[in-house]
Amino acid sequence: MVNSLRTQRFWKDFDWLLLGAAVVLSVISLAEIYSSTISSGSENYFMRQFAWVMVGLVSLFIVSSIDYHILSEHIPWIYLGAVSLLVYTLIFGKTVAGSKSWISFGGFSFQPSELIKIVVVIALARFFSELHIERYMTLSQILKAGLVCGVPVLLVMRQGDLGTAITFIPALAFGLFVRGIRPAVLISLFLCFLLVLPVSWLFLKDYQKDRITTFVDPELDPQGRGYQIIQSKIAIGSGGFWGKGLFKGTQNQLGFLPTRHTDFIFSVVGEELGFLGVMTTLGLLSFILLRSVHNAQTARDNLGMFIVMGIVGIYFFHIVENVGMVIGFMPVTGIPLPFLSYGGSSVLAAFIALGLVISVRRCRYVN
Amino acid sequence: MRQREELIILRKRVSLLVYVIVSALLVLAFGFWDHQMVYSSYYADRAEENRVREVPLIAARGRIFDRFNRIIADNRPSYNIVLVRENSPHTVEQTLGMLAPGLEITVAELQERVERRKRQPLFRPIILKEDVSVADMAFVRSHKYDLPEISVEEQPRRRYLGGEMAAHALGYVGEVNDTELATKEFEDFKAGDQVGKSGLERQYNKVLRGIDGFKRVIVNSFGREMGQLEAEEPIAGQDLHTTLDIDLQRAAEEAIGEHSGAVVALDPRTGEVLAFISKPAFDPNLFATRISGADWNNLNKDPRKPLQNRVIQSHFSPGSVFKVFMAAAGLEAETLNPLQSTYCPGHATFYGHTFACMKASGHGIIGLHNAIVNSCNVFFYNVGKELGIERISHYATMMGLGRKTGIDLPSENAGLIPSVEWKQKAMKAAWYAGETISVAIGQGYVSVTPMQTAWAMGGLASGGRLKQPHLVTPEELRKSGFRVGEVFSEQYPIHASTVDIVSKAMWGVVNEKGGTATRARVEGFDVAGKTGTAQVVGKAARLKGDQYEDNAWFVGYAPYRNPEIVVAAFIENGGHGGVVAAPVAHELLDTYYRKKTGTFGTESTPNVAQSGRTVPGPAGR
Repeated sequence: MVNSLRTQRFWKDFDWLLLGAAVVLSVISLAEIYSSTISSGSENYFMRQFAWVMVGLVSLFIVSSIDYHILSEHIPWIYLGAVSLLVYTLIFGKTVAGSKSWISFGGFSFQPSELIKIVVVIALARFFSELHIERYMTLSQILKAGLVCGVPVLLVMRQGDLGTAITFIPALAFGLFVRGIRPAVLISLFLCFLLVLPVSWLFLKDYQKDRITTFVDPELDPQGRGYQIIQSKIAIGSGGFWGKGLFKGTQNQLGFLPTRHTDFIFSVVGEELGFLGVMTTLGLLSFILLRSVHNAQTARDNLGMFIVMGIVGIYFFHIVENVGMVIGFMPVTGIPLPFLSYGGSSVLAAFIALGLVISVRRCRYVN
Repeated sequence: MRQREELIILRKRVSLLVYVIVSALLVLAFGFWDHQMVYSSYYADRAEENRVREVPLIAARGRIFDRFNRIIADNRPSYNIVLVRENSPHTVEQTLGMLAPGLEITVAELQERVERRKRQPLFRPIILKEDVSVADMAFVRSHKYDLPEISVEEQPRRRYLGGEMAAHALGYVGEVNDTELATKEFEDFKAGDQVGKSGLERQYNKVLRGIDGFKRVIVNSFGREMGQLEAEEPIAGQDLHTTLDIDLQRAAEEAIGEHSGAVVALDPRTGEVLAFISKPAFDPNLFATRISGADWNNLNKDPRKPLQNRVIQSHFSPGSVFKVFMAAAGLEAETLNPLQSTYCPGHATFYGHTFACMKASGHGIIGLHNAIVNSCNVFFYNVGKELGIERISHYATMMGLGRKTGIDLPSENAGLIPSVEWKQKAMKAAWYAGETISVAIGQGYVSVTPMQTAWAMGGLASGGRLKQPHLVTPEELRKSGFRVGEVFSEQYPIHASTVDIVSKAMWGVVNEKGGTATRARVEGFDVAGKTGTAQVVGKAARLKGDQYEDNAWFVGYAPYRNPEIVVAAFIENGGHGGVVAAPVAHELLDTYYRKKTGTFGTESTPNVAQSGRTVPGPAGR
């Protein structure tokens, strides 16, 4: 009796709108992955992605049914496990496209850093929620939070995946901002960042420097480094309002778009589904972000709120970077677009993150 | 309570973040608006440029025929290996590095070719190797997946069926160069086009050139063709029907053998060029494919100068051939009495210098007729002395010497008939009367092209009517849709008696006992003419070797009344005109006469002669 009541309650409080948005995005994603890999044939990207979406959906339901407090309770061990996994990857991992960020077990490969982001989010959320302070954090508190986030970031950077490493930072930034840091500290952090920029240029690899210069002026080398971004802009612009129609994008079908089923999937959306499709997709992504923020504000406690805001920070950055990149507003990085880009780790992580958000919402009435 | 307050503060901060998120998303939305709504047509054009490639379909040049519709030049299919840099998965260096061993060309050579076309648009193909072999094509086909930027392009290529035959009249084709492109003549062409570089090929570029077509094909990002959108077929150039007669051409070429020299045959009634031989010749087929560096060097450095057009570009002392014109000039100026006789002791002294005669023992008392027949220098020294350089210059120029004939070929040379004024201008020196004596026998400053001598001789024999020599008649050009006037024609004043006297004498040169050109005689065909043996350098140097042998001339025509054909045969360092040049002219005139009387060999088709020219030529474009 109690059990069935809890089950009833679960389904009643479940955030169907968030799930619906994710499902519609997955449908668009599958259609465009099918469209962009139809001609290459060799691997069945569509079926693989479909399988991952299914795994993602199941994970979403599982995660959303778990009380996030339980996760928070065990987070020190989970965090340690995650860091160990990153170290393991660094030593035994598989190198794909220059980054040693993959491990394989059984038949398939997996990029642990995608899932570890969520672990970091929960770890940070627990840290922030357990601080009871007047208004602003102390410097040592800020440094501790930086350490929680920084260890996995440095490990991911060591793997050679700077792009993914950077995606951890927004979780920290959003958390710090919400927890409260003095404007003076905020400004000095920002100034430090500005100072570090030119210095870090010296430590960037050539391809990373190329990406920056290409971002500044893609036409510098239209056949080489600027090629991706130029072709992406052409694809999107030529889509116009209505788009060229599913499976009819010439930039996509004739192979002018690079990495079109992964990082540049949004260019395919722009070309084949037009401004209308772009607005729909971007609208759904915005809906997920803003509804999550709403869930954060209505969360029962600070822990829930920090978890959701951490997730919002990460995916907000993913969306701005990836969508900005395809129209040349942001430099090229290999950051996937949540729910849309092909890739099991990325899809699974997005569904799990959404599951957490739904879990936080579900728990707001629980006393 | 405290916790509640804290929550409120934190939620406010979250609300602040909402502004950040919303404004970032709005910026992105604006970006898409900008790309997809504002600049959509710009990007649509660029997507179309990406997807569609225009492949040129190169038009064949028109064929070239002889006067009896026999093909002299046509086209054969050939294949080039080309590089399209656009969307290439490799750098140019990588591509060339992979390609060079397979094509057996050095990377440096390939690089040089790419370098020369570096600035052209990326989508335009750059030819890496022309007229490739089956093996080369097989190499490219088998690597079409590793090297999608490399493809094979078809291009019709010029083929000269006669090899070296009439090479200097036909000229050759080649890729237009930058210097040419800057001139008005080639203004309609673009880099990479095949154009006529010399001869008829160049003169009638506008007739012969076709209109290139194109096809628009859909390509993928590797440049592989995925389908065709539309095509415009190339239009072949128009055929060129020349006045040349392959039979005469061949006869003269055979007769001249290994000698250097020139033979040209004209129809003095019309100005049509029947034969045009310059030896040594080159094979214009070598140029039809990009000429190799070694071949070009061989042609350019050959001391015998095979590229030199000896018919219209080279000019030489006419030697005794000039005597005919001296005779006509003397008679017209009335400084020479047709009945006048001179005593020839084998030499004569003028202004303190002794001038020798051809015959050292002397001709004795000799009249005008025999002075021409036996080519007596002493007689003509006196004719020249009486005329003086000014009148010699006037009459010789009037009769067509020392000026361009106006033949329809590029780069004709005018030759030179000296005058007092000319010497003053060119050499800043006064004319010495003694120089006139040398001029009188076609030595000294006098210099003419073989074409000129044939033209002037034909004009004189036809009673002073000069018809502009041409290889393509105005009628033919009009058939091709070009507006052209008639060939220019001039009639200079000359007494019929003068023509009669010199013609008879020239008939004697060929047909009388003791004449200098009896070897030019053709039984039944009244051949007339004049030999010339022009000194190249002083006698002392002549002993040194072949290249200082005299230049041999024979300029003749037939029949001697109302001539139909005039021939100039010139053999460089050949020796005596009557011995070396006259037999060459004989072969040509004999062939002409046998064709005319229907006793010419079976390989030709004389019956086609009149009707055949309007009948379309045999296939084989």
